[in-house]
Amino acid sequence: MGTPSAPDVVVNTTGLTKRFGSTVALSDVDLEVRRGEVFGWLGPNGAGKTTTLRLLMGFARPTAGAIRVHGRDPWRQPAAVHREVGWLPGDPAFHDRLTGRAHVRMAARLRRSPDDDKTADAVTERLGLDLDRPVGTLSRGNRQKLAVVLALLGGPQLLVLDEPTSGFDPLVQQEFQALVREHAAAGGTVLLSSHVLGEVQRTADRIGVLRAGRLVAVEEMSVLRGRSLHRVQARFDAPVRAADFAGVPGLRDVQVTASTLRCAAPAAALDALVGRLARHRLTDLECTEADLEETFLAYYGGEPGGR
Amino acid sequence: MAAEVLRQTVTLRWRGTVTWAVGLAALVLLYGALWPSIRDQPSLTDLLDAMPEVLRSLLATTDLSTPVGYVQAEVLGLTGPLLVVLYAIVSGSASIAGEEGRHRLGLLLAAPVGRARVVLEQSGAVVLGSLVVAASLTLALLTSSVLFGLDLAVGHVVAAGLHLGLLGAVFGVLAVGVGAATGSRVLARAVPAVLAVLAYLLNGLAPLVGWLEPLRPLSPFWQSLGHQPLLTGVSVRGVVVCVAAVAVLAATAVPAFGRRDVMA
Ligand SMILES: Nc1ncnc2c1ncn2[C@@H]1O[C@H](COP(=O)(O)OP(=O)(O)O)[C@@H](O)[C@H]1O
Ligand SMILES: [Mg+2]
Repeated sequence: MGTPSAPDVVVNTTGLTKRFGSTVALSDVDLEVRRGEVFGWLGPNGAGKTTTLRLLMGFARPTAGAIRVHGRDPWRQPAAVHREVGWLPGDPAFHDRLTGRAHVRMAARLRRSPDDDKTADAVTERLGLDLDRPVGTLSRGNRQKLAVVLALLGGPQLLVLDEPTSGFDPLVQQEFQALVREHAAAGGTVLLSSHVLGEVQRTADRIGVLRAGRLVAVEEMSVLRGRSLHRVQARFDAPVRAADFAGVPGLRDVQVTASTLRCAAPAAALDALVGRLARHRLTDLECTEADLEETFLAYYGGEPGGR
Repeated sequence: MAAEVLRQTVTLRWRGTVTWAVGLAALVLLYGALWPSIRDQPSLTDLLDAMPEVLRSLLATTDLSTPVGYVQAEVLGLTGPLLVVLYAIVSGSASIAGEEGRHRLGLLLAAPVGRARVVLEQSGAVVLGSLVVAASLTLALLTSSVLFGLDLAVGHVVAAGLHLGLLGAVFGVLAVGVGAATGSRVLARAVPAVLAVLAYLLNGLAPLVGWLEPLRPLSPFWQSLGHQPLLTGVSVRGVVVCVAAVAVLAATAVPAFGRRDVMA
């Protein structure tokens, strides 16, 4: 049963660790995902995203630590957990000879939801999928759509989506993002993984960043946007030294060549930076906002401890 | 829905099961059709006499000139059990290990269905398939009996079919279990196949090798066919032993599957 003290916590992990032999796939992860939010689970390939979602589904057993979904242990009570969870695997595979509709019907029966699932029809329509073709004849994108339909079947509270938009063209991606937002707006919860921020930046309320199995940051998307980096290039009429710009908080990638400065600065550091620039005679100044992806990579893409 | 996993597994396997059933029936009808020409060849019994004793012992037949001896040698001695067991092993290894290898196990395991149910109902589907294939063989034998004058006792043929189906079930459920415990399709085929060959040889060679004789009851082949069902009908002990073996194997597979990580 759900923990009564925290009714809004849908997924929580404490010290969650998973090793495969000597490979540490996930290390000491503490995480809370709450009701009504879209949580982006980000990290490069091999970071441990899929492993986390497999632990959440009870397909694998934690080496140490614990994971609870709606207060339940998925390893011990998978059936109870699955009743409230829709899952989209990282590499969806189907029975190639059967149609999409046959898959929907089989999944619906296993969930004991009605055969003519309204959700399935609505989602199918919105994504533009032909349910009556054998799955073996479908393109990768269309298979992915079928995986989305199956995940949404029966109206689960929590959606667990492993890199769901790989293979979607931009229009379908938008429709999918709308589905995700609607799910959260209706009180549902979404946990979706991706290796690029761009895929989740429009849908996620928060992101967790995983690197080499460690949770390196949990951030509100709005905060991350506020920290968006600006690329600054300044030219002076006399040579400058790197030390002239040291100590500006948040300044990154400082490159000084003779009378030119190149650097990246979060919005919050611009004022202090301009103060330093004004101590010299400027001949040229350029300042452009980097896209969020670049910002993200700058903060979380480098070596561990690099932020 | 009750037994929904079983229902779906049967539906998905239906095509393969029917193919095996039809193929096996055709083979049996072919053997039956050969009977009228063979019956009139006295030299055949000489041929059998000329065979190495080992071969005669393996086929458990001494007389090709009677219909029962002929069917025993051609169908129940090797071909029938071999093919039914092969079908069951292929079907059993396709269950959990096969689906897992194709990354399709999630279609079942992500549903609100416990792992125990998946193992038990997939085992059930393999048992059903084995019985269906054996039933098809039985029908073909009965048809041959009428068409080609084999004149076999209906009850005895049905008994032989039942024993063949249960024999297949034992190795099929073993294949499900090895797949459930390891996730490896190769092991799920190899382990039961090797054991089936050993059990076949144990049953067939025991009469010639003294020290094997006390071990003979361990062989599902002996439990199923050692009593010559075409002559004696159903062996209650044989049925009980095979059903118990199926139950124990399935019951062992449940915790083995529950303990390990799956690549769903
Ligand atoms: N079943 C497994 N056996 C061995 N190593 C594994 C297994 N699953 C994942 N790993 C390893 O764990 C790490 C994390 O993998 P994964 O969770 O799939 O990463 P991601 O989904 O973020 O790309 C990788 O180094 C991967 O090779
Ligand atoms: Mg992955």
